[in-house]
Parts: sequence; C-alpha cells; structure tokens
Amino acid sequence: MDRREFLKRSAQAAALGAASVALPGMVGRVWAAEKEPDIVVADGRPGLATRAAVQAFGGMGRFVKQGDKVVIKPNMSFPNPPDWGTTTHPDVVKELTKMCIEAGASSVLILDNPLRSAELCLQRSGVKKACTDLPQTQVQGPTNKAFYEEVKIPQGRALTSTMIMKKVLESDVLIAAPVAKSHSATGVSMALKGMMGLIYDRKDFHLNLDIDVAVVDLCTVLKPNLTIIDASRILSEGGPSGPGKVIPMNKIIASKDIVAADSMAVEVGTWYGRKFKGRQVKHIQNANQRGLGNMDISSQTVKEVSA
Amino acid sequence: MRFQRLLQIPLFLFFLFLLWLAAYPLPAWFEVDLLLRLDPLIALGSMSVARTFIPKAAWAFLVLGMTLFLGRLFCGYVCPMGATLDFWDWVNRRKGKPKRDNSFEGAGRFRGLKYLILVALAGSAAAGISWIFLFSPLSLMTRFYSFVVYPICLMIANLFLDLLRPVFPHLGFENLSYVHYSVPLFNTNLFVAFLVLGILLLGLIQPRFWCRNLCPAGAIFALFSRRPLFRRMVSDKCTSCGRCVRACPMGAIGEGFVKTAHSECLTCLQCRDLCPEGAITFRAGVKVPHLSPEINLDRRRALGAGATGLAAAALTRTNLHHLHGGDNPQPLRSSGLIRPPGAVPETDFQARCVRCGECIKGCLTNTLQPVWFEAGLSGMWTPKITARLAGCEQGCNLCGQVCPTAAIRPLTLEEKLFAKVGTARIDKTRCIAWEQDKKCLICDEICPYNAIVSQFAAGHPVTVPVIDEDKCNGCGYCESRCPVTGEAAIVVEPLGELRLASGSYKEKAKELGLVFLAKGRVKEQTILNRDQREGKGAPEIPAAKDEKKLPAGFITN
Repeated sequence: MDRREFLKRSAQAAALGAASVALPGMVGRVWAAEKEPDIVVADGRPGLATRAAVQAFGGMGRFVKQGDKVVIKPNMSFPNPPDWGTTTHPDVVKELTKMCIEAGASSVLILDNPLRSAELCLQRSGVKKACTDLPQTQVQGPTNKAFYEEVKIPQGRALTSTMIMKKVLESDVLIAAPVAKSHSATGVSMALKGMMGLIYDRKDFHLNLDIDVAVVDLCTVLKPNLTIIDASRILSEGGPSGPGKVIPMNKIIASKDIVAADSMAVEVGTWYGRKFKGRQVKHIQNANQRGLGNMDISSQTVKEVSA
Repeated sequence: MRFQRLLQIPLFLFFLFLLWLAAYPLPAWFEVDLLLRLDPLIALGSMSVARTFIPKAAWAFLVLGMTLFLGRLFCGYVCPMGATLDFWDWVNRRKGKPKRDNSFEGAGRFRGLKYLILVALAGSAAAGISWIFLFSPLSLMTRFYSFVVYPICLMIANLFLDLLRPVFPHLGFENLSYVHYSVPLFNTNLFVAFLVLGILLLGLIQPRFWCRNLCPAGAIFALFSRRPLFRRMVSDKCTSCGRCVRACPMGAIGEGFVKTAHSECLTCLQCRDLCPEGAITFRAGVKVPHLSPEINLDRRRALGAGATGLAAAALTRTNLHHLHGGDNPQPLRSSGLIRPPGAVPETDFQARCVRCGECIKGCLTNTLQPVWFEAGLSGMWTPKITARLAGCEQGCNLCGQVCPTAAIRPLTLEEKLFAKVGTARIDKTRCIAWEQDKKCLICDEICPYNAIVSQFAAGHPVTVPVIDEDKCNGCGYCESRCPVTGEAAIVVEPLGELRLASGSYKEKAKELGLVFLAKGRVKEQTILNRDQREGKGAPEIPAAKDEKKLPAGFITN
C-alpha cells in the first residue's frame, strides 16, 4: 500500500465512521428533545406495537450490532393457541426477529425449554410458523441435557449453580420477550420469571428453594439487554398454564431494565381481580433490592407511543 | 438381483418407513397402519373375537382374494417377517455345506403345526378370547421393530449427531445441530426381542421355519392358494439335479422335482432362476401334476388343537386378573391400568387389539406402554397410559388414528378432549405441600385442564393442591411431574373413565354433567363444578377481595 492509497483509505474510513456516528445521531435527534425513556408502553396491534416500542429507544440498532448472535426468549412453554395468553404472541417474536435481522444480526435463535412436548409447543404457540422462514433464524425448544452447560451463580443466595442453554451463553445479545401472565406460585410470570425457560431443570425452584429468591439468583447471570413484554392480552388468572381469564390490553412494554419492565407490566394489568404495584410481587421486589433494576415506576420516564 | 428382491426389499423398506411415520404429526397423505390391515389373521381374528365387522381391517379380504389367483405372494413379497427371515438366511448362508432333505415330503414334519395353531386360535376366538397377537406376523414385526429396533436406531443416530454437531453449522446444516432424538422407553422390550430371536433361531433348522410350520396367517394363505393361476411347471429338460429342491426357501417342491405344493410356494421364482437347464417356468393356466396330500390335517389332532384353544380361553377367563365384563372398573382391576383415550369398552378392546404396538410407537409423549399381565392373561401387550413417565398430550390423538382395528377409536381432537381416561387423586401423606409444608405446586402449574387448584387449607402455612375431580381428564401430567421420588403423590386412577363403543364422547360428557363451559375467551375448556351441575348458582368467580386466593408470590400488605 503506498502513501496515496493509505490516505485515500483513511479518508474513506473516516467518512464512514463519521457517517455511522452521524446517522443514528440524526435519527436520535427526534428524541433528543426529550429525555430517553426508561420504559416505553406502546399501544396497538402486537407486531406494530413491538416495532414502535423498539423505535422509541432509537431502533434495534441500539441493541444489536452487525454480526451479533442474538437469542430471543419468548414464552413458548405451552401447546396453547395465542389467544389463551399463556405464550408470547407470534407477531411480537416475528417483529423482534425481523428487526434484529435488519440491524445486521448474524443469527437469531428463538429459544425456550417448554414444559410440554417441545414440538407441539413450538407449533401450537404459532411462533415456529411465524418465524421459521425468516433468514438466519432458528426456532428451537431444546430439551436434551446435551444442549445445556453447568454455570455457577456467584451471587446466588438460594440457587448457586444451574444448567443453562449453551447457545444463550454463546450469544452476544439476549432479548427477553415474555407474555404478561398470572402465575400460581410467583403471582405473575414475566421477564424475570421467564428466564427459567433457559435452564435445564426447574424442579428445585419449586421443591427445595424459595422460588422468589431463586428466580432473582438466576437473573444475576442471565441479563437480557432488552426486555419486551407482550401485554397485547394478559392471562389475568389461571396462569401459568391456562385456561383462564384473558384480558385484551393491546400493549407492548419495553425497557432496557428487566425489573422496570416487569414492574410496569404488573401495574398495567389486573391480576386475580386486583391491581398491584411491582413492589407487591416478591420476586420483583427482591430483584430491585439486589440491584438488578428499578421497580419504582414513578421515578422513571415512561413514554407512551401508539402504533 | 432377483425379481422377488426387487419388490420385497422396497416393500420391506416401505414397512419400516410407515413405522417411522407413525409419529406426531401423522402424515395426511397416507394411513400408516395400512400394512397391518393386510394381514388376514388380524382381520379374521379380531373380527371373529369382537363378533363384528371392522371396516378398517377389511383390506385383508382383498389380499385373500388375490391369493386365490396369485398364491402365497404376500408371504414372499410383502410380509416383513418373510423379509426379515430371508435376510437372516442370507446372513447365515453357507456355501458348499450339504443341506438336509428339503423336499416337501422330507422336510414336512412340522408343516401341519400352523394349521393346528390356526384351529386353536379359532377355538379361543369361539370362546371370545383373542390370542392372535402371539402369532400374527405383521403384529409381531411391528412390535419388534417398534420396541426393539427403533430405540436402538435412535441411539445410534444420536451418537452420530453428537459427533458431528460441531461441524454442522459449517456444512450449512444449522438445523441439524439442534436435533437430538429423545429415545423412547418400552416395557416388555426384552421379551419381544427374545421372541423374535427364537423365531430367527428356528430359521437355522430350516429356512423360513416360521413361515413353513408355524405362521397361522401363512396357514390361511395356504388354504387359499392350493390352485393358483400361476403354477410352477417343469419341462422334460429336467436332469433331476435337485438344486431346486435344495434351494426352495419353503421346501415346497416334491421329491421327484416336478411336483409342487402350491399351498407352500411363494412364487419367489428362485428355482426358475437357478435351474441350469432352464427347465422350470411359471405359467398361467397350465395343468401340472399335484402333490397329494398337500395339507394333511389329522382330524384327531385338529380336534385336540381346537380343544386346546378353548381350554386356553377358559384359563384366561378364570384368571384372577381377567377383567370380567370389564366395561367398568372392577374391584380387582389394577388401579394403574389407564387405557388410552377412546379405547372401546374393555372386553371389546381386548378382542380387537392385536398388540401391534403402533399406538405405543407413535405416542407423542411415550406414555403408552405395553403391559404384562396387568390386564389378565389375554391382555398382554395391550397399551396403557403410564402417567408416572409422561402425560397424555391434550393436542394429540395419534393412538386412535393408527389403530388398525379401531380398538382405540379415531377421535377428533375435540372429541378426545372429552374422552376422560381416569381421575387424579392426591396422596396427602406423600405430598410435600400437604405433609412437609413445602411451597410445591408443580401439579397445579402443569395441569392442562386447570383441575388442580392451590389453596390455603386450615393448619397449613403454604397453599396445598386440591383436585376438582369433575375437571380432571386423567391425562396424568400431574403424576408425571410430581417431584416426589418413586411413586407420585398424585396418581391417576381409572375412576370415572369414559369408554364408549360408539357415539360421541362430547354428548356423553354432557349427559353426565361434565359440560364444558366457556371461560373468558377460552371456549369449551372447563368442566362445570359439582355445584354448578346441581344448579346451585352461578359459576364461582374468585372473589376480588379474598386475599387467600392469591398466589404466595404476592405481598398484600
């Protein structure tokens, strides 16, 4: 390479660099007028609202870089149709996946360790059909031990080690995409509780451990970069498996803070015929106390958008 | 390759392929149990014992009709037992070793046995007991390849998948890197393996020992193929070298090389192909000298066989575990004997079920298992739900779809929802929530019918599971996931099972008051509780202010 070429290339690189800094900046300017939201509540149909919610943070490019390996963790644990409210709406997962691909993700893995027959769960939840034809995308429900790896949980108080999906450990970006639903043990099951779908054996959570502590232990090692909660309809009672009372909400909740997102979803919904604050859910309170996020909504910027 | 093999090998592979396809989801383009329904023993046996015509199994009559013209073609070309035995002979072939006398007369010592077995089966059938599952070649082979060979194949496949997993993504097979077959478990598999091993070892005495001497389906075919259209004819070019007699897999050629026992001839054409003089042809409508007697059935022995069959039936009926009448759970019925959803009433079920194991092979969750003597002597290998292993999946109705004799009725998914197979019961002394105050509610969480509720009960600091029996479908998910070691603290028992020979399960459930009620946006999922059935007011809606109904995960102060 001679000097001239070196200069030419440097100039090109500089221009490119400048552009890449400037471009998101230009988009960002729309938001620059106001403070970046901590939590976004998007109103509208599941797919559109999901996109709008992510756009409100400046687009998926904020979270996913060129060549990143992305794992999306929806709830696909039950072989029930989307309108039961037991699983994440397929349009939410599809839209998220599309946005990741648009942002340059090298692969998108949609993973969950289902409670019932994996094949049936992936099929009936509608997620497989919605996402299977998207490029570089895999929808999988690995149940065999071979796909999991023992991981230590140094900050664990109840749970000190567990087997986590290898593909999650290898990923660059983790997106939690649960459905907002009631849960007969933990009260509600959202993003924090949803992380249990990425581990091999959950029996101990119910059996020997305090589940409201163990869920938080797990979340000290599994930290989603972005949390999208599907509240297009919520399973208000009868969760986690349904059938139960389903309330249409038409909302998607997004945050970089998993605790804030969960807390918001708790406040937005009605559970067992009552209204709750995030702090009234033990595992959310625990997560807050242990510094995993902020459950206090009033101290945060909530942006409402509609799609 | 010989003409026979050109058909036999693809048809055998087709048999294996159909068996492979007998899994969730079933292909829409083919009925995977078709080959089973071609076995005349299955058709005649199950129809005669069930005393009814089973349209599904009537294909076999077409095969029998064809046999009248084509001889025992089925045995030589279609039957997977024949193919397996031919393969076994090929593996064990030895060159240059002189064989025993293989002529029809010389190797005919046991040939009459198959007729006696057929008569004995008929004797049992007359008394309403089916033993055909011990002898039907299609049933035996389906069972063998399902319970014995299939899991081993999956284990081998997994070995290769694990080995190649790191390279799949680089080869562009990203999908394959997630494949890991869960290897199914099967009760009685060792016994099935030994049974078939026994049949194979008999093949060392004579090739196709089973087909020549034992197979009652072969006996039926033999009776139908005494005067087939295509017959073996030997021209005068024959030099009496005897090769054809030695090579015949059925020992169907007479000592003089010219006469043929058509009831035994498979039309495999081996003799024609190896005759050095080209003296043997198979032609339609030729007159050839007959071997006589072809079927030598001693009357005394035949009567003895019939009496043996009757006696076997009598012994079965007087066995302690025989489900007398059996249409309702009897006091002595094993409490673990949960039949698959849609199984017809027990007597009829045992009459129809040919124990092929197709439902067990296809079962999505592996919960269906063959039983030993839990259902009486004649109930061996019938399927049961093994809830401790896995639950019966709500969204799957495969077992009824693949049953060749409709012993399990082919229910739609909606109908299947109402086909209650039993009811769960909690053993409070074993339950860790009831007994040890542990916060366990796995059964509540997994129950697909919302029939288990976690409630606060007097004297218990944590919520404890309670069953609403009228909502329980008996699927057994609770039992399968119960974290207690060994026997579960929640078990499904046959109490309340619905067994209908005909008619709609949905209607029957309505009649019994098990009416499914719309709840929220979920339709037809929950059964009315007892109060509602008896008209004691509106559906119970969780009281908004009743804090005791809230899960433990909430802080309410």
